This record gives sequence, structure tokens and C-alpha cells, in this order.
Amino acid sequence: MAEVKFVEASRIYPGSDEPAVDRLNLDIGDGELLVLVGPSGSGKSTALRMLAGLEWIDSGSVHINDKDVTLSPPQDRDIAMVFQNYALYPSMTVAQNMGFALKQQGVPKQERTKQVREAARILDLEPYLDRKPKNLSGGQRQRVAMGRAIVRSPQVFLMDEPLSNLDAKLRVQTRTELADLQARLGVTTVYVTHDQVEALTMGHRVAVLNFGVLQQVDSPSILYSRPKNRFVAGFIGSPAMNLIDVDVSGDSVLQVAGLDIPLSPEVAAALKTSGPGKYSVGLRPEHMDIGTEGIAGEVAVVEELGSESFVHVSTIHQGEPLLMEVRAEGQTKIKRGDNVHVAVRGPAHLFGPDGERVGD
Amino acid sequence: MQVVDPSSSEERSDTISEAPSIQRSEEAKKLQKREAWSRRIPLLPALIFLIAVTQIPFILSIFYSLTEWTVNPPRDRTFEGFENYTFAFGDRFFREAAWVTAKMTFWSVVLSVIFGLGMAMLLDRKFRGVGFVRTLVLTPFLVMPIVASLVWKTQMFDASFGMINWFTGLLGAEPYEFVSKRPLWSIIGVLVWQWTPFMMLILLAGLQSQSTSVLEAARVDGATKWGIFRQITLPHLRNYIELCGLLGAIYLIQVFDHIIGLSGGVSSARNLPFFVYRTSIGGGWRFGEASAYSIIVVVITIIFATFGLRVLSGLLEGEDAA
Amino acid sequence: MSQSTDVADFGSNRFASALLTAFTYLLGIIFFFPVAWMVLNSFKTEDEASGSPVFFFEPTLDQFRLVTSDIAGRASFSEVYTNSFFVVLLSTAIVMILAIPAAFALSVRPIAKWRDVLFFFISTKFLPVVAGILPVYIIGRELDLLNTRWSLVIMYTALNLPLAVWMLRSFFQEVPGELIEAARIDGASLRSQLTSIVLPIVAPGLAATALLCFIFAWNEFFLSLQLNTSDAQTASVWVTGFQSQRENFIARLSAASTLAVLPVVIAGWIAQKRMIRGLAMGAIK
Repeated sequence: MAEVKFVEASRIYPGSDEPAVDRLNLDIGDGELLVLVGPSGSGKSTALRMLAGLEWIDSGSVHINDKDVTLSPPQDRDIAMVFQNYALYPSMTVAQNMGFALKQQGVPKQERTKQVREAARILDLEPYLDRKPKNLSGGQRQRVAMGRAIVRSPQVFLMDEPLSNLDAKLRVQTRTELADLQARLGVTTVYVTHDQVEALTMGHRVAVLNFGVLQQVDSPSILYSRPKNRFVAGFIGSPAMNLIDVDVSGDSVLQVAGLDIPLSPEVAAALKTSGPGKYSVGLRPEHMDIGTEGIAGEVAVVEELGSESFVHVSTIHQGEPLLMEVRAEGQTKIKRGDNVHVAVRGPAHLFGPDGERVGD
Repeated sequence: MQVVDPSSSEERSDTISEAPSIQRSEEAKKLQKREAWSRRIPLLPALIFLIAVTQIPFILSIFYSLTEWTVNPPRDRTFEGFENYTFAFGDRFFREAAWVTAKMTFWSVVLSVIFGLGMAMLLDRKFRGVGFVRTLVLTPFLVMPIVASLVWKTQMFDASFGMINWFTGLLGAEPYEFVSKRPLWSIIGVLVWQWTPFMMLILLAGLQSQSTSVLEAARVDGATKWGIFRQITLPHLRNYIELCGLLGAIYLIQVFDHIIGLSGGVSSARNLPFFVYRTSIGGGWRFGEASAYSIIVVVITIIFATFGLRVLSGLLEGEDAA
Repeated sequence: MSQSTDVADFGSNRFASALLTAFTYLLGIIFFFPVAWMVLNSFKTEDEASGSPVFFFEPTLDQFRLVTSDIAGRASFSEVYTNSFFVVLLSTAIVMILAIPAAFALSVRPIAKWRDVLFFFISTKFLPVVAGILPVYIIGRELDLLNTRWSLVIMYTALNLPLAVWMLRSFFQEVPGELIEAARIDGASLRSQLTSIVLPIVAPGLAATALLCFIFAWNEFFLSLQLNTSDAQTASVWVTGFQSQRENFIARLSAASTLAVLPVVIAGWIAQKRMIRGLAMGAIK
């Protein structure tokens, strides 16, 4: 049973005005793969390092399995970490790299070899046990870094952007293997990435951070369908949601470029309650269609991907030019300069003047 | 495997009370302190050793400098306050020695940096035997300074048998007594011969640490060889040149072997360290005066070094930022 | 790291390029000439060495025999050489033992006041040894260390320690911080971090630093002259015994000089590449 709790945990770097991590509260369940995601500077790596014991916790606390580890050094927390650049010891072989922590704990050689071999078997590293890191490919090094973590059978895995240094194809492949491995081993894992696609595909739950503050933590599908604020809405989903500023007047009717936007009853009621102001409407490209009805506009750019295409349509909204991205079928006949109409098919998200979600 | 209910958002944990956090911060402070001390310990042996060996003599020097203490003829040591210092500033020989030090240090540093840069550029090229030539050029730095001075005095500079005069004699010139006619420049010559390789090594590394992509971009942009050198290479080398100057000055202010070796210490080319030595156990036996002189030398060096340290800080600062 | 950036290259002009190479060779020969001449002279007879320069002669080992034989009233060559090796090797070893932990404390997870400490280390070189010899001499006399090898061991250690700490520190800086963090998480103590992780990575830098200390200590003259008379004489002082005011024993002096500089020159040649990396990389940052 390895649960992880952050309680009002903060970290502020000396000489800095803003905290890097601001009163983080996060509960992670046993065996869960929780992803910390956010843009650079969001504090996700700092939060991970606070859990690892590599950063001081200036206020608040961190708990592993109900034990307060805030003041414990890294080696006493029973954690293992995979670094972005793998941090393999260059003067040691793969086997020695993987056995290093066990050696520090005083595990006898025979036992060490056994555990190293077992971890190597899981990761297909057996042929490389006697090689040094410089003689390994990037993907192999990544697996050694994983192996080093697995061998210790820790309570928590910490991973700091472990796939960022792999080429795109290898990254996608390793992603699946990693998620599968975590599910098999069942070890609680905290995983940091800046890539929201990685976050959504791997995480049981995903925690979105911005400027050190936790924005929302939920399952991927809820993050996608019910983003709590404008930031999360614009961050999650690829390509990004169209966020359109709308001045709502007294009659609480929502219009984009002259088109009435359908709202669910709860959202409409909530809008009526909040009253007029500057709102943001969120429309996902995949919830819009190019057709004969809807907002009139001109095609500015067509991105053809084969399986689908994304059309950027230029139109006028509230007197200002507006560019919207709409998903269309693959191998589309639409081309630049065409005059088209954009219809809104799916749910519209609404965010208030404070950026918070309006409605449920 | 148990996973937290996916439909919940983040929840505030209220099972941990607030009171322990006050205790915790005191504990945390103690822990931080202990950790900081454990990091200091590896430094201590070196630090203690150096303080003992260098500061005790320094403090003694300060003490002696405040006394009148001569040994030849032996007299009692009496406390004189700052008299030695006021004497020093008025002493013509002291001022001359200071001036010689300035000239000697300045020219040997500047010339060896310039020649070092030239050699580094020549050796930065690819050609057969570049390593061999580098070895040849490196050798003067490895030679014992006292030996270098003796060899130059007897075999190079010598008016009757020296190789320089032999060579110029082939061109029809009269033999020239380098050491007796130009003692300061003879010394500077040998110093430059020995220190150019040192500067060359540092500057060669500087040249080779340039980013090839930057140089290639400049060439594509149409810059001339000279333009590239002036606008890209030289600014890049700035840190290296400053380091050469700093290290060179530290070592070249203290020249002694060459003065003894080339001129026996009897010519006009005597720098401050030599002058101080001569005043104390090198023949003058005026210990009080000599100690005052040496303290003045330290103060002067500190002034110049603080200026040079701003350079150093720039290097160290750049490190923090990197 | 030895890619040429070809800044001074004349590129496509092959003739100019060849000319430049020839010029470089010429400079190399000129630089090396005094050393070569000295070595040459040590194989000549005194007649051949003095007077007009002689380039072709029959080499003889007489001079070497002369300087290495025991001369009355003078320290023997083997004694002197042994003294030099003892003092230099021991002081270099002590320097490394003291400097490695110190550099570690100033780099990998630096103490708060590391800049001040570094400045202090360098500042100990601000008082020229030549000027500060008096108290050193007096203390040496009081502690009965004059005319022993220990006085030099202590002094050479103090002279080389600042440079060693400075150079080693910048080598340690090149170790990626992540490696140390991984070691910490793996449970390595400070000592273990140093010995298992850092030292293997910076091994070439260690060699370069030790070599530089060796060079500076072996070539040191002033302290050896002042603190020791005949009993613990080192090679540097020994050589000066072969000058004379009356006659120019050039061949003899050359032979003695060649023997005195031999260890350092050979060491420098062999470890050249490491020393280049050391002097440059080490000293820069």
C-alpha cells in the first residue's frame, strides 16, 4: 500500500517573489499512475523533486504511506527516480548501474546479481549487462534507467520526463510499454511531462499545473470533457480548443460571428445567473463541421494529415477578425481561399470573466 | 490495485493537523544546519593546513614590520610603529623596484599572451606533425626556470659565445652584450620564452571550444577571415585571455630565479620581491624594514587582484547563470 | 576535442597553406632551439662547447660522468635526485589528498560561502614567497626543520594547494548534477558519491592537476636554496653549483642541466594532451 499525499506543500526559491509550487494538495492512490503536466515553469518538476527529497519543502508536508517524509533525505524515502537524461553512471556497466543502490544498502553480491538479472529480464536488457552506457543507444539507456528504478522495488516510482529524449516514433512505442509495465508491477507512479498527449494516454489521473498552482486533477476523459478553467481547456486536447472571447449582454444569448451557440440547460441557467460580462466560449475543432450552414468565413490554411485534416477558417466576430480551427475529413477537397460555412455540432464550453467554468 | 474514484476532483486533506508544522520548521532548521555542516567537513583539512602554513608567517610579518630590527650589526629589536612604512614610501630604491616590477610583469604577460595567441592560431590548423610542433613549443614551459636562465645567459646571450650573437654575426652585426646592456629586457625575453607556451595552451583550448556551427554560419553570411576573427573569435576568447592575464600576473610578479640566473641580482633589473629579499636575509639583514616592504607588496597585490577579481567574478557569475 | 577550427587557415590557397605550415615548423624549431642546444652541448667536450659553435662533433658521455660522480664538498647526484623525487612526489600526493575533498565541497553541492573560500585560496599566493621568506625561515629554524626534506614538502604543498583546488573544482563542475542526484536517491553517502561516481569521471583531470603540481614543485628554486643547505638539496640548487665565475664550464653545466630538467620534460611530453585539457578546461571555469 503506497499512497502519496502532498499537503499544502510549497516551495519558493531564495530570491524569488513567486513560489515555484504554491500550496499543492494532491492525493495519489496505491498503484495509481498520476501524471503531472503543465507548460515549462509550471512547477511540475519541482513538485516531483519535492517528493523525491531533492528540493526543500518550505511549508506544508509530503507523506508516503501516512509517514511524514518531509524531513527525510532521499535515500530514506524508499523511492526510485528516472531522470530525463537518464543519469546513468558512465564509469559502470549496466549491471553495476542497476545494482548500485542495492550495494549502498549492503545487499550481498549474490542477491544483488539475482535481482539485477530479474529486472534485466523484464526489460530485455540481458544482452547488455556488461556494456557501459556510452555503448548503448538512446532507447537502451532509457531502459537501463528504468531497470535501475525497478530493481529497488520501491514504494513509489518518480519519472521526470523519461521519454523526452527519444525520437518521436520510439517515444510512442515506449509509452505503451511503460504504461503496461506500470500496470503489471502495480507500483504507485508519479510521472512528469510537458506533452499533454503523453499525459492523457498514460495517466490514470492527470494533474494540470500552471505557475505553481494546481488547476485540476481528474481522469483524462473528464479533463477533456469538463475542463475546470480556461487554461485547462486550452491546454488539454490536440489540436487546441478554439477559445473565443464573447461579450455577453443582458439577454444572455451567446453568439459567435453571428451564429447562436447551443448551450446545455445547466450552462444556460448558470449564464443567466452570472449575468452580462466578458466570457470565453470553447469549441473543439472536432466538434465543428464544415458544411453549408453556420458561420461564414474564408479558408486561410488547410493542414492535411491523411487520416483527417484541419482547416483554419477566417471570419469576423464582434467586429474583429477571428481564426478558427475545424476538423474535416482526410484528403479533403477544401482548399485555401474557399468560402465555407462552419457549423457547431458538439457541446460548447463556457468560461466566465474569471476564467472559471460556467455550468456543471 | 486500487485507484481513487475518477469522478472526484482534488480534495483537501483534513486528517493532518496544523500544529505539527510549527515544530516541523524548527526540526527542519536543525536538519538544514546539520546538512550544511556535513558538506563543509571535506573542505576543512585543506583549509586548516593552508591557514596554518600561510597566515602564521603573514601575521609574524606584520608584527616584525612594526619593529626596528637589524641583525648586522646585531641590535635589539625595538617597537617603532609605522616608521618602516613611511621610510619605505620615501625610499628611492623601493620606488625603483616597484617600477621595475610593473614593467617586468606587464611586458612579460602582454607579450606572452600575444605570442601565445599567434602560436595558438598557427597550431589550430590541421597539418602533418601538428602534435610534434606543439610538443616543441611546449618544452620551454617545462624547463626549470633557473636552468633556463643559466642556459640563456651562457649559451644564448653571451657576448663571445652566445648563439644569438653568432647568428647576427653571420649577418655582419657586431656582438652585443645583451645581459649587461639590457638586463631588464633580457629577463623579459626569457620569461616570454617560457610563458608563451602556457598562454598558448589555454588559448588553443579557447580556439577549439568555439562552436563550429557559429563559424560556419558566419562564413555562409559572407564574413571574411579577418572579420570572423575580430567579431566572433576574439569576443569568445575574452574569458580565456583574461584568465591568462590573471594567472600570468600571479606567477610573474614573483619572478626570482631569472633575476639571479641571468644577472646574478646585481644589475638594475630588480623587482620588488627580489628587493625585499635582498633587504632581509639576502644581505641587508634589515628585518623590520623588509617586513614592512613585504606587507606593502601584499597590499598592492590585493588592490590589483580585487580589480582582477571582478574579472574572476564575471567568470564565476557566468557559471551560476549557466 | 581536437577539432581544428581553422581560423587562420587560408582555405583553398594551397601554396599559402603550405607556407604557413613551414612557418609554423620554423617557429617550433626556434622555440625549441635553446633546449636542443643545451642538450647538444652536454655531449661535447669543454673545448667544443666554448668558442665558436660547433655543430658536428663526436658525442661523449664524459660530462655526464663528471657531474654524476661524487665530488668532495658537494652533494652527490643520486642524493640530490632522490631528494627531489621524494619532496616532489610526497608533496604532490599530499596536495591531491587535501585538494580532492576540498574541491568536492566547493563544487558538487557547494557550501554557502564557496566564492569567499576560493578567493582565500588564491589570495595565499599574493604574498610572494621571496618577500615573505623571513618569517618562514625563522619558524623553520625554531621547529628544527631547516635543512630537512620536510620543510620543502610542507612549503610545496602550500604553494600548489590553491592551484590544485581551483583546477579540480572546475573538473568536478563538469559532472552532471543529475548524476549526483541519482546517487543520492540510490542512497550513496557523500564519500561514496565522491569515490564511486565523481572520481572515475574526472580521472583525466586528476592526472593533469597532479602533473602540474609535479612540474611546479620540481622546478622550484628559491625555497630550496633558502631553507636547505647541503643535506636536503634538490636538483634545482644542485645545478647552480656548476656555474663558476672564473671559467665557463659550459659542457658540464649543460650536462647537469639536462639531467635536472629531464624528468619534467619527459613527463610533460607524455602527458601533453592531458595537460592541455587540464590547463585549459580546468582553468577556464
